[in-house]
Amino acid sequence: MKQGLLRLLVLRKLGYKGSRAARKRILFNLVLITLVVGALVFAQIFVVSMSKGIADKYALLGNGHLQVHEDSTRDLPEKDGVLDVQLVSQSYALIYSPEGNKMVRLKGVEDGYFNELRTSQITLMDGIPKESTTLEQVLLSTTLADELQVGIGDRVALMLVGDDGIRPQFCVVGNLYDSGYRELDANLAFCDYNLIHRLFKGSEETYHELLVTQERIEPLKQEYQDDGFMVTSWDEENFTIATNLNTSRQAVLGVMVAVAMLCGYFISELSRELVEDDKHQIAMLTLLGARHSLIRSVYFYTVMMVTILSMIGGTLLGIVMSSNLSPLLSAVADRSIPSLSYYLLDFSVVYPLGDILVIVLVLLLVSVVSVQFSLRRVKRIEPLSCTHFD
Amino acid sequence: MMKSTEVLTLEQVSKSFPATLRGGEPIQILEGVSLTLNRATSIAITGRSGSGKSTLLQVSAGLLSADSGSIRFEGKEIPCLDDEHLSRLRSRSMGFIFQSSLLLDDFTALENVQISAMIAGYSERDASRKALAMLELVGMQDRLGHTSDQLSGGERQRVAIARALVNEPSLIFADEPTGSLDERNAALVEDLLFSLVAEREVALMLITHNLAFASRCNTVYRLHNRNVEVRS
Repeated sequence: MKQGLLRLLVLRKLGYKGSRAARKRILFNLVLITLVVGALVFAQIFVVSMSKGIADKYALLGNGHLQVHEDSTRDLPEKDGVLDVQLVSQSYALIYSPEGNKMVRLKGVEDGYFNELRTSQITLMDGIPKESTTLEQVLLSTTLADELQVGIGDRVALMLVGDDGIRPQFCVVGNLYDSGYRELDANLAFCDYNLIHRLFKGSEETYHELLVTQERIEPLKQEYQDDGFMVTSWDEENFTIATNLNTSRQAVLGVMVAVAMLCGYFISELSRELVEDDKHQIAMLTLLGARHSLIRSVYFYTVMMVTILSMIGGTLLGIVMSSNLSPLLSAVADRSIPSLSYYLLDFSVVYPLGDILVIVLVLLLVSVVSVQFSLRRVKRIEPLSCTHFD
Repeated sequence: MMKSTEVLTLEQVSKSFPATLRGGEPIQILEGVSLTLNRATSIAITGRSGSGKSTLLQVSAGLLSADSGSIRFEGKEIPCLDDEHLSRLRSRSMGFIFQSSLLLDDFTALENVQISAMIAGYSERDASRKALAMLELVGMQDRLGHTSDQLSGGERQRVAIARALVNEPSLIFADEPTGSLDERNAALVEDLLFSLVAEREVALMLITHNLAFASRCNTVYRLHNRNVEVRS
């Protein structure tokens, strides 16, 4: 019997057929909470997507998902989930141009290295060397090329430190790439696999670089270790970066949860405001015999309806806003915040449903508890008080 | 036989208020008040302003607690009832009419009456049907969809009467129901109230300054020196 009454009162509180002021108040709070939730969801998607984007760059261009440190002559057994295997050598060298120098990580790779998986992560510049040359070619990033003030076809020198002293090796910039993440690009150069061996004569590090499916990273690592291989994963090779990314993500989630808690508390302010404004009506309903529990339910469901609608709207808003994240960030970086270009701007958007669920549930839980607390004041409104408004 | 028709019985009821918010010597408002109200009878409580007429009504309806004495409503001791039982009693067995009609602002005349019936436990459809019938009875069938601010004082009071009677209560508490109305509307409301109370065999406790209005009740009490005395 009471459901009909509850529905009637809740709908009226929500502004259905109600006064304009009631509608405006509900709408204002609805928009406000929607914007807060939208901002929280957007920020979380942004942080998680960027973290994953950076991790992908490091995995695909830096070290692969897994590194099998083994004699290059020994074949790796085929396993499910392995997408690509490349033999790679790497060492460090000072790279010189007439205008500057930089210590770089030099990766020697074979012809098939820049396959579809990797080229999807980088942009290779168009251009041909200015003159035909027999010099060995290196692939630099546009970031590094800018620092050294060189372009495609320009000469650079690799200063190699060996047992026999320091000697230069002249090379030509064969092409330029851009991964979109300057932090990685600024220190990474590629050359031919055989060149590394010739230049470093055994002091270089050689390993198999494996690209695997995300969910198979740990199982495959274990399987290779069980087969007697020494295996590391990309996050072990880039421990600081991986830890920073993970910590950042956790910290941002923590901040988002804290903001969601504050938002939940704010929602209880809405219920407090509703009750305060409706004291007269509450007293009258009590006088007519309505129980406090019914009246509390009316305000609880009203506020929860606003909260749930706002959360749905805010989540959708956050997802819609973040679906155009890359173009949006590029536009902001180009027009107003140039320093943003040092961050990764080109990455795929991932939707961290778990994180979004945590934010939404915390907000919901805090608002449920705080609204219940704030509705205790309903009991303090005496039925007789409605006659005081005469 | 008489016992079974008793709706409200007050025995030696006393009520005082603290002199100030911080306490002090209490001000005695009612002292040893006893009266009985039977079904289908009406009593009027008169007295000068501040004599405690409204306090007597509020104590009788369980809206204020008495300091001492017994208040029985349909045989139930009101001070012993918990919130749930008191709410049920108010919704099903009591009707209230105040000087100001006290309608719910955002609701139409029909909804105001319907809500009262729904609180008493009627389904939405039944409550609507009963509310419609009551509003027709008080001549408000043309104002069903009007909200409180779209009604005149007399119309609001008629809606309040409909609301008070919709659940077929055994007792109506009316505190200066015509106090804010002009002479013509006051007469209309008076007639309506007495005809419906008589027709439905409802008991009425009327608080009023208006002796002519009071004289239409079966018994008129005068509240004097913190106690009631029969006036007529």
